[in-house]
Amino acid sequence: MGVTTRLLQSVLVLLLMSFVVYGLMGLMPGDPIDLMIAGDPRLTPDDAVRLKALYGLDQPWMERWLRWLGQFIQGELGYSRLYARPVAEAMAPALGNSALLMLSAMALSLSVAIPLGILASLRPGGPLDRLVNLLAFASVSVPVFWLGLMLIVVFAVGLGMLPAGGVETVGGGGLADRLRHMVLPVAALALAGIGQAARHMRAAMIGEAGADYIRTARAKGCGPARVVLGHQLRNALLPITTIVALEFGGLFSGALITETVFAWPGMGRLIYEAVMGNDFNLALSGLLLATAMTLTGSILADMAYLRLDPRIGRK
Amino acid sequence: MRSGAAILALLLAAILAAPWLLPAPDALDLIARFGPPSPEHPLGTDDLGRDIGARLAQGGVVSLSVAAVTALLAALIGTLVGLLAGYHGGKADALLMRLTDGMMSLPLLPLLIVLAAADPAKLGVPPGMTESEAFAVLRPAVIIACVAWTGVARLVRAATLSVRSRDFVRAAEALGARPARIMLRHILPNVASPIVVATTLSVGNIILIESALSFLGLGIRPPLASWGNMLTGAMDVVWSAPLLAFWPGAAIFVTVLGFNLLGDGLQKALDPKRLSD
Amino acid sequence: MRKFLAPLIVSTMLAAPAWAKDELAIGITQFPATLNPSIESMLAKTYVLAFAHRPITAYDASWQLTCLLCEKLPTIENGLAKVETLEGGRKGIAATYALRADAKWADGTPVTTDDVVFSWEVGRHPQSGVAAAELFRRITRVEVKDSRTFTLHVDKLTFDYNAINDLHLLPAHIERKRFEGAPSEYRNRTAYDQDSTNPGLYNGPYRITSVVQGSHVVLEPNTYWGGTKPGFKRIVIKAIENTASLEANLLSGGIDMIAGELGLPLEQSLAFEKRHGARFNVITKPSLSYEHLDLNLSSSLLSEPKVRRALLLGLDRETISRQLFEGRQIVAESVVPPLDWVFAADLPKASFDPVRANQLLDDAGWMVGPGGVRVNHRRERLSLELVTTAGNRSRELIAQVMQAQWKKIGVELRIKTEPPRVMFGDTVTRRKFPHMALFAWYSAPESVPRSTLHSSMIPNAGNNWSGQNYPGYASPAMDQLLDSVEVELSKDKRKAIWRDIQALYAADLPALPLFFKSDSFILPKELKGVQPTGHQDPSPYWAENWRWE
Repeated sequence: MGVTTRLLQSVLVLLLMSFVVYGLMGLMPGDPIDLMIAGDPRLTPDDAVRLKALYGLDQPWMERWLRWLGQFIQGELGYSRLYARPVAEAMAPALGNSALLMLSAMALSLSVAIPLGILASLRPGGPLDRLVNLLAFASVSVPVFWLGLMLIVVFAVGLGMLPAGGVETVGGGGLADRLRHMVLPVAALALAGIGQAARHMRAAMIGEAGADYIRTARAKGCGPARVVLGHQLRNALLPITTIVALEFGGLFSGALITETVFAWPGMGRLIYEAVMGNDFNLALSGLLLATAMTLTGSILADMAYLRLDPRIGRK
Repeated sequence: MRSGAAILALLLAAILAAPWLLPAPDALDLIARFGPPSPEHPLGTDDLGRDIGARLAQGGVVSLSVAAVTALLAALIGTLVGLLAGYHGGKADALLMRLTDGMMSLPLLPLLIVLAAADPAKLGVPPGMTESEAFAVLRPAVIIACVAWTGVARLVRAATLSVRSRDFVRAAEALGARPARIMLRHILPNVASPIVVATTLSVGNIILIESALSFLGLGIRPPLASWGNMLTGAMDVVWSAPLLAFWPGAAIFVTVLGFNLLGDGLQKALDPKRLSD
Repeated sequence: MRKFLAPLIVSTMLAAPAWAKDELAIGITQFPATLNPSIESMLAKTYVLAFAHRPITAYDASWQLTCLLCEKLPTIENGLAKVETLEGGRKGIAATYALRADAKWADGTPVTTDDVVFSWEVGRHPQSGVAAAELFRRITRVEVKDSRTFTLHVDKLTFDYNAINDLHLLPAHIERKRFEGAPSEYRNRTAYDQDSTNPGLYNGPYRITSVVQGSHVVLEPNTYWGGTKPGFKRIVIKAIENTASLEANLLSGGIDMIAGELGLPLEQSLAFEKRHGARFNVITKPSLSYEHLDLNLSSSLLSEPKVRRALLLGLDRETISRQLFEGRQIVAESVVPPLDWVFAADLPKASFDPVRANQLLDDAGWMVGPGGVRVNHRRERLSLELVTTAGNRSRELIAQVMQAQWKKIGVELRIKTEPPRVMFGDTVTRRKFPHMALFAWYSAPESVPRSTLHSSMIPNAGNNWSGQNYPGYASPAMDQLLDSVEVELSKDKRKAIWRDIQALYAADLPALPLFFKSDSFILPKELKGVQPTGHQDPSPYWAENWRWE
């Protein structure tokens, strides 16, 4: 499956998705103008009609989609109604926040999962292996928002050691303050991701353990550590690379639930607010960006797979 | 696998026994709001004085019903797609697999949000139907099933590919049987075990997604209780009643763990060649 | 909880940074989408702008109209307002205002009638994006007398002729060039969003010096402000949507106070007070937010007044207020709140009377049937559906308590929650709710409930669903009262008409009155001078009086 074919298909997926999402958003009942009217006694029905016409909310969504598509292809992302600024400006800080959160969580979870997976694979069926297996299951089964809430209850409410949410203390508190705010959300995300990664690592290491080249290396007299770290590990990194590449898209779609619980202003919340607030321009740009990055991630994963293991390409 | 089954059996027993052992989940008691655990209320009371254990049981019934319906729908769609792709091969296979891959690559939660926010009335669903309680359960189920079928599809396709080249299938084709008949009578029974495994493994994920949606207010809506929306309420009072947040989430955790262990065990039992991963 | 208390206290004491007393951090639950005073109606924006941008007139904490930027309120009595007869015999009014001599934009430019005329032009333009345009439409002419004095010619004579709260002043010397040439693009080019820290945009005691989108706004004193000197060198308004996080920030010292206009819901504030009442003052002020049940009068179950009255008498609203809100939420008798000067205190109150409620239902032909639910001779069950906004905790609580209370008089209630956008976009506005809708109206002091009670305001397909008379209430008597109270200038006569309105409302019950919601302010003990208003002109309109002692 050539890269160009994949890319073309990705573009098709994006186009289709934008159509579906625009349509679905157009199907949402009510719009922000109705909410505004309900909340302000000074607005009259005439104001409602006028404002809806002004924001183009009274036109059929097909027309609006085509118009948006025309602008988007030319590179014009549009103006975000919700944030009163161009879409790119509105998205930039959220992207940064999400990337920070997700990268830290991924780094943390991998740095714990990889050694755990390796250790577990050394003695399959042994006590450590069983423990790792159970932990892995637990981490895959835990609802992230509950984990987040529990962390808040214990560390913020109970012990008062860490802040209960937000990016930093108001007005800026410096690097240490920002790090303190990151601890709980990163921990919640990382804990939920460790299980999967550890099990993949373990399975890959075990899979490699029986391979011919390993037996050859041992027959040649290489010590166990050298075998493990030098050969086995390198090949077992394949599934990890796959996971990382697939999670690439996650950097751009954020983690809505975690961001909600920890009041972290990331892409997840941005897209959510945009969808709920009928901010078509922002919602679509955000969603398309996230999808495009996920698709890119899977293409990259396949390419990395080919690079790391030339045997696959030859099959 | 045994541990998984045991967990689920215990859970089911607790949910079924709750109406006998505990007060009614709707019984308000404004005097005893936020009550600590007591003989009358083993888990305490919530912000309207209702028994938390009873609410958990009620939420459990709802959450599990949604999960069951979703899993069935997802299995149906996934099996259909997998069978068609595996049997016909060629262009159909490529198209269906591209569709599956495309679905899998979409960012899950934002898409679900957009789906959940849409208005069924505008899609043509008659208003009478949208009022019923059954619809309140069906709606999140349909939405989640739209994205949850991909895992089943892949497994079924792989299994179909391997069964397809077997002799009895070739024989049926030679005898002139129609593809639909072959798929239904010959292939389907032989791919049943992967379907069961895939469905069981998907239930855990479905429960997580449903509780996330309900937590955001887009799935099951109050006053109908679900474990997810019990946690939304708990977040507001996390400072005054932190324990309210513990129980619904713990219930979700235990249930999902049970299903994952069960599914993993089934997989090992039914397909011992594959490494569990 | 107690075992958490000690380490919590110690750690919060250690964690609280030593805020200089000349800096105040305020927490609110929403960030303004735009900072332009006229575009988009949003409470967060009104709150933030109130520190830095003043209207000409506003209602104060005792709900009286007062001058903020003008020198004297024009009245017919003091001669500054004159009744005019317009063509067709209608009456209009010409009101003369004089801007304060010390009113200056923060870049030193004085606030002049030039700004008034410009703001009026923007407000009148159909494509400028201004939200509340009614006032601008009514002003047919702005007559400029000199750089500070102007006369507004209004085409309708109403009793609130001198309230021009919606005439937000835009600085002509900055905004004119962004408006002229492309008025329909004004809302995308306004300096309030493109150049938010420009001092010339603000005429209040503070001006905005820094905006971090979605996070916080920083204000510093306006050196050209002529009134009372503001008490703080810096005010930071931080938007934290998550109320648990808001509380956490308050306790850790990240913010000093939580604004009542946009802060914690009442039950959460009360719970907070129980735990931290020693450190903070929790002030509750009844607001003009009228929590009620709109009844669909077209439904056969609710068309009989006896049934509606029985439903009201079957509700123990006092107990709800006491148990859920510690009595800090006032029970409503009609659309008029007790703090409003036109409130008729002598009208009989509808107290909890289940005996009478049962009697009324029996009289109306509803007999108690199987399962305890009443049925009528047509075998219909008295089963009602209530729709309310999802995600609003106190509404869900109230709805469930009502369900339990009504069960006792044989009424079955089914509760349905919908997201606000669905409810206000469709269900309520198109009168699709079968029986009842639970939500709140926000009104203003002595605001005439025309759009909610007048028969011409019933939304229907013919008038493109405009109007807010969702019950479908059509009473010629009420129409006549509403029409006459608007134009009645004599205070005594008006009070009498208001009394009739309230009496008729209580008799007809197009909606079941529940509560007037209270705003809850959480303030540190050292902060003095904050005066909650309880209506849409928020407390920061007097922020120059806030002091830290």
